Amino acid sequence: MANYFNTLPLREKLNQLGVCEFMDNNEFLDGVNALKGKKIVIVGCGAQGLNQGLNLRDSGLDVSYALRKEAIEAKRDSWKNATDNNFKVGTYEELIPSADLVANLTPDKQHTAVVSAIMPLMKEGATLSYSHGFNIVEEGMQVRKDLTVIMVAPKCPGSEVRAEYLRGFGVPTLIAVHPENDPQGKGLAQAKAYCVGTGGHKAGVLRSSFVAEVKSDLMGEQTILCGLLQTGSILSFNKMVEKGIDPGYASKLVQYGVEVITEALKHGGVSGMMDRLSNPAKVKAFHVSEELKKIMRPLFKKHQDDIMSGEFSRTMMEDWANNDANLLKWRAETGETAFEKTPAGNVKINEQEYFDNYTLMVAFVRAGVELAFETMVEAGIKAESAYYESLHETPLIANTIARKKLFEMNRVISDTAEYGCYLFDQACKPLLADFMKTVDTDLVGKNFNEGKNGGVDNRELVHINEILREHPVEIVGRKLRKAMTAMKSIKTA
Amino acid sequence: MHQPLVHISGLSIKYGNKTVLRDLNWIINRDENWYLGGESGSGKSVLLTAIADKDKKTEIQVNVLNKSKLKPVCLYISQWYQFKNLEGVANFYYQQRYNKQQLKDTLTVGQELALYGKENQLDFTELDQILIALNFSSFKDAQLIELSSGEHKKLQLIKAIWLKPQLLLLDQPYTGLDINSRTNLNILLDYLASQGVRFVIACSEHELPKCINKYACIENGQIKELNGVLPVVRTIPLITKVPSFLQQTPKPNADVMVKMVNVNISYGDKQVIKNLNWEVKAGEKWLLQGHNGSGKSTLLSLVNGDHPQSYANELYLFGSKRGSGESIWDIKSHIGLISPELHWYFDKEASVWQSIASGFFDSVGLFNNLGYHKTQQVNELLDYFGLTEDKNELLVNLSLGKQRLALLARTLIKNPELLVLDEPCQGLDEQQTAHFNQLIDGICSTERTLIYVSHNQQQLPQKLTHRLVLNQGEVIENSTYNLEKELA
Repeated sequence: MANYFNTLPLREKLNQLGVCEFMDNNEFLDGVNALKGKKIVIVGCGAQGLNQGLNLRDSGLDVSYALRKEAIEAKRDSWKNATDNNFKVGTYEELIPSADLVANLTPDKQHTAVVSAIMPLMKEGATLSYSHGFNIVEEGMQVRKDLTVIMVAPKCPGSEVRAEYLRGFGVPTLIAVHPENDPQGKGLAQAKAYCVGTGGHKAGVLRSSFVAEVKSDLMGEQTILCGLLQTGSILSFNKMVEKGIDPGYASKLVQYGVEVITEALKHGGVSGMMDRLSNPAKVKAFHVSEELKKIMRPLFKKHQDDIMSGEFSRTMMEDWANNDANLLKWRAETGETAFEKTPAGNVKINEQEYFDNYTLMVAFVRAGVELAFETMVEAGIKAESAYYESLHETPLIANTIARKKLFEMNRVISDTAEYGCYLFDQACKPLLADFMKTVDTDLVGKNFNEGKNGGVDNRELVHINEILREHPVEIVGRKLRKAMTAMKSIKTA
Repeated sequence: MHQPLVHISGLSIKYGNKTVLRDLNWIINRDENWYLGGESGSGKSVLLTAIADKDKKTEIQVNVLNKSKLKPVCLYISQWYQFKNLEGVANFYYQQRYNKQQLKDTLTVGQELALYGKENQLDFTELDQILIALNFSSFKDAQLIELSSGEHKKLQLIKAIWLKPQLLLLDQPYTGLDINSRTNLNILLDYLASQGVRFVIACSEHELPKCINKYACIENGQIKELNGVLPVVRTIPLITKVPSFLQQTPKPNADVMVKMVNVNISYGDKQVIKNLNWEVKAGEKWLLQGHNGSGKSTLLSLVNGDHPQSYANELYLFGSKRGSGESIWDIKSHIGLISPELHWYFDKEASVWQSIASGFFDSVGLFNNLGYHKTQQVNELLDYFGLTEDKNELLVNLSLGKQRLALLARTLIKNPELLVLDEPCQGLDEQQTAHFNQLIDGICSTERTLIYVSHNQQQLPQKLTHRLVLNQGEVIENSTYNLEKELA
């Protein structure tokens, strides 16, 4: 199989990367009708599989689960998840032939094997649905021409997909139809109905393409979302310990700090986050983040280039073929860092203190969000797609760090994201070595405002505020956040 | 030894921008166990938390003894229970316990108690006795997330009793407990008192442990000593007229609202509902009773469309068979629901106004705009429940009693044909409870259907017509009901 994106002429590459439309509520007035009475069979019953299925059934749709024979016979967790919730469960042979829509919700790595096994069983004219397009775009899976191929990708962990649905809301969702597989022209209607069934239509839906979703998703998770949060957290912790800050305090500040800081990001964008700092701290954070952007821009570009050319997926798939040797080695190394091994101290840190004493992380987040966004847009990805895969997801990932540090983050995210995260982290740390030598405890560990008189130059402050607020990620963010205002705040500490 | 156990002088505390305690003085001597009464919102919780947090206030002295068999601590047990998952996160969602996932997220009761006992160096032989006394031994293997609200309350009390602190401050300890558990709790508390533990119990109940020998309430921010528990409030005239939009009941769209045929619900080997048959006809007013853990909440989650096992049972709601293409939002649109769990999981960052308005859409938090008429209805109910002043306050900043009033208003806002009221008056004082029940009687015309759960036999609406009693998941009574006869 050849990388699908690379087989396209440039014109078509740009065309598919540019599919991006923020959908109006009126587009969903048909509800779940396009799937009503149809047989939906979900393959895989992990967090996404189970929770999407529970939502679809509670929306009045007919849902069952197809699992591999061995998983059923051994009563694996996927089998228990489905049967404990009273779903009908059967083998591929039993359920796929009568399915009108088959939703493949297995991990990326299994897609080729799963799709190859179910495709011959699917009935003429049925629909195959994905929640992530890696298999189609990077692996170049060729799907039978009579089948419709769609994507419905909730931009949240599975448990949130369920939690938000049950409170009468949903999570922001990307939908797409694969242009090579829409023989009857029903793909979009079914994708919308599926999205309504999971509750996603209430929280902001972006119409995307398989290509745009994959190329932006990979970029976001490797750089700002996981890579930079990991690098920034480890460097910050090490710096504090080096400068004599109590390790327990340092550990807590880093573990929970990203969550508190990015909560402000979620509600008010980059400028909302920067506004939480005192004026002198904001001026400082601005200059520091400008410097960080300059240092890291080449690395962000390299990641985007490797993603676009298929180089990233090629090397990762080599590691798959090598039994994940690199992935497992790097995972073990992350588990051994000093930050990971130092438990959070039993100290109370007030919400504002996380901003005042962790100005460095605010600078990291601004630099990372803007860089990821700018690099994606330069590469032909539309602003809305770039927003979802950079700023929007940052608080969700930060929440996993607050739960149990980086090891937990890497456990929750996909193996694909984890692999890319380690690549970034390894390249980024040496890049920042000289910069980190200039960092002192006023930026990380102690209150930045301590011992300073609090004065700033008015003109400079006004200028900085303008630059922050006029950045394209802020302009598109203001529009998109209006549709998501009701998202529940996720709290840990 | 002559120091009193607690000495408070000149304590003033603000809650939000309202002064709750004003120059309060109180002495608790070493031989005294106190009852603390008073209206909802009078400041009982504020006072008890302040005592427990004594180091923050110079006006409060608590003199625990270091040489004692009892722990030298003063422990506050709040009305609200709290639990976390294995990662230390308390981020659970409404009805999560019915959605089964293999990923075991929380500790079991047994593991939780083992950790607690080790942390506080407690005697595990004593634990078994407490578990037996509160009928909790069989829960050791249950996941925390699987417990009902009454069971969580018991677990919280078990920990407190096991610790044997020198001073135990109990805030509404009877909330959600069934009648037997209340009696058993009182026996345990009397036993602890004989061991030297001293109590302050803030509650509106009348069945107190025998050891209580001092009585007080909070009035105008000060302690007022009483001769006994506050008298039962029997009948009070309604202050305001029933809101006009509630006076007309919508026509029920089916003759039978709920029908269950041989319903079974089990988790693994544990069967929580057994061969249950039940029919609720339009216009009937049901009282649903049963001990803690008897299956009441599970049964109601079937009615409310929230239980995944609904799809495997023969169940009819509002005339349609469950699983025939309806969505849970179709089902909920017929129902006004309140339950301890709904309150526990409700979005506390929502304002009072938003919370009430969200009842139109059955959502937790408001995600839609209301038109003129609906806005008027919200305002009418705000007025009726005396919440107009608080309409822009976030729930998190209000007392539990006021939060509950807002959620009761939410239950009624869409003028539903079926009301499902699962312990609706938890957190309310007697007067508020009486008012609410009068309102329910006032709006329960012949056409409206009611399912009402309460452990408190003394405070029920008058119009109940039927009763269903559960025991260990089985129906042990299914009959017509007449409140006056019952009380006579």
